[in-house]
Amino acid sequence: MVQVEDCIGCEECIPYCTVGALSMGNDGVVVVDGSRCTDCYVCIRSKCCPVDTIVPGPLNTFNDNFRHVLSDPTETTAETGVPGRGTEESKTNDVTGRFRKDEAGICIDMGRPGVGVRMRDVEKVAVAVVRAGLKIPGPEETPLAKVMADRTTGKLKDDVLDEYLLSIIIEGTCPLDKVEGVLRALRSVEKEIDTVFSLGIVLQVDENGYHPVLDTLEAFGIKPYRGKVNVGFGRPLAT
Amino acid sequence: MAGFRMTHSLHRSGSRESLKKDFVWLMYQTKGVNDKNIKPKALEYISAAEECGCVNFGDVKSGSILEYSVEEIKKHITDKSRLRGVLDSREKVTKFLRMIKEKDLGLSLVISGLLDEVLAACKEAGVKPHTINFSLGVWGKKELLPPEEILSVTTMCGHHMISPGIVKKHVEMVKNRQETAEEAGKALGRLCPCGIFNHIRAAELIAEMAASEIKAAQG
Repeated sequence: MVQVEDCIGCEECIPYCTVGALSMGNDGVVVVDGSRCTDCYVCIRSKCCPVDTIVPGPLNTFNDNFRHVLSDPTETTAETGVPGRGTEESKTNDVTGRFRKDEAGICIDMGRPGVGVRMRDVEKVAVAVVRAGLKIPGPEETPLAKVMADRTTGKLKDDVLDEYLLSIIIEGTCPLDKVEGVLRALRSVEKEIDTVFSLGIVLQVDENGYHPVLDTLEAFGIKPYRGKVNVGFGRPLAT
Repeated sequence: MAGFRMTHSLHRSGSRESLKKDFVWLMYQTKGVNDKNIKPKALEYISAAEECGCVNFGDVKSGSILEYSVEEIKKHITDKSRLRGVLDSREKVTKFLRMIKEKDLGLSLVISGLLDEVLAACKEAGVKPHTINFSLGVWGKKELLPPEEILSVTTMCGHHMISPGIVKKHVEMVKNRQETAEEAGKALGRLCPCGIFNHIRAAELIAEMAASEIKAAQG
C-alpha cells in the first residue's frame, strides 16, 4: 500500500482515491486502509498532495507486485508483454485469430466499473464459469492464470484470495453451444459476490456485425448496444 | 514523460444522445508480427487524428494531448507506442476509417462505441468488421455503483483512474464558480493516462450536474 509521511492534514488527496482507501484519522493526518489500497498510484501520479507526502510502499512479495501491476495501467505484465490488465483480448484478433469463428470469447472484468475486487470473489466466478465450460488460457495470454492453482477448476492459489485489486479479467473461450450455460452460471454467481463485473462476449461477425449467438443473448433479455469493433485492418498471421 | 499504456473502453455509461458524441479508437500492433518500425505508421495515425478533429488522443508511452504537445508525443514514439483517441461524431469516425483504410498500414484498429453508429460508419467507409467484443453490461452487486450521472464521467477512463469523489469535487467547484466546466473536464482528463477520456463530453455532463444541484438548492 502507499505510505503517507509528514501529512499536513489538508485532505486534498482523499477524493482522488479510486477505492476510498484514504481517510482522515483521529490525529489529523490521512491514513491508508491497507486492506483496500490497490497500489494504483493515482494519488501519487496526480500530484494531488501539495507537499508530496504520498509515496509508494514496498512491493516485496509476488502478491504486492501482482496487485500493483494489475491495478496501475502504466505497468506491464511481464509474461504477456501487454500493459494494463495484461491481455490483448479481441483487439488484435484480425491478426492473431485468437478467438476463432466456431467459438465465443468471454471477458469478465471483475471489479469494474470502479468498485474493486477481492480475489476471493474472482475465484467464485472463475469456478462457476469453468464448470460451465469456459476454457481459461495460460499465463502467456492472461495474467489471472499466474495465480490459479488449477485452470481446469478455476481455483486460485490460497495465498492470493485476500488480495484486493482495482480490476482483473477472467477471460477464456468456449464452444458456441456452451455460451448459454456460461451465462446461466454468471446469473447465479452474481448474487454471491460483494462486487460488480462488466461482461463482454467476443465473436467473429459477418459484414453487418451479426452473429447467431446474439439471438441466444436475446433469450436472456440482453440486446448489446455497445461494442468494441475490430475493423479488420490488421494483416493476419497467414499472409 | 511517463510510460502510459493500454486502455479499456467497452463499458461506457450514459444516455444514447450523450454516447452519440463519444467514440474511442485504438491502434494496435501485435507482438512478434507487426510490432517493428512503428513510428511512420503511428505518425500517419496522428495525422489522421488531427485532420479528423479528435477531441483527445495520445500515445501509451507519453500521455495525451491534454498533458503534452503533439510534437512531444511524436518525438517520443517508439515500437512500444500504442495510439488511441476519441472522436465526437459518427461522421468523424467514418472519415477516420476512410483515411486509415486508404493508408493501408497493416495494424489493427478498433472502434468502440454505440454499435449501430459504429457499424453504420463502417458501412459508409466501406469497411467490413472482423470481430466485436459486445458489452453485456454490468452484473453483480450494482448497488455499490455511484449514481449514473457520475458513472457517465468515471467510465470514460476505462481503467478507473477517475474516482467518483474527484468528479463530485469538480462538480462542486463548477457550482461555486471556482472553475469552468471545461476546466473541470480537462483536469479530470489529465488523470486518464491513455488519451481516451472525452473531456468535452465530461464538461457537458459536469455542467448539467452543477446546474441541477443549483436548481435543487433554489427549491
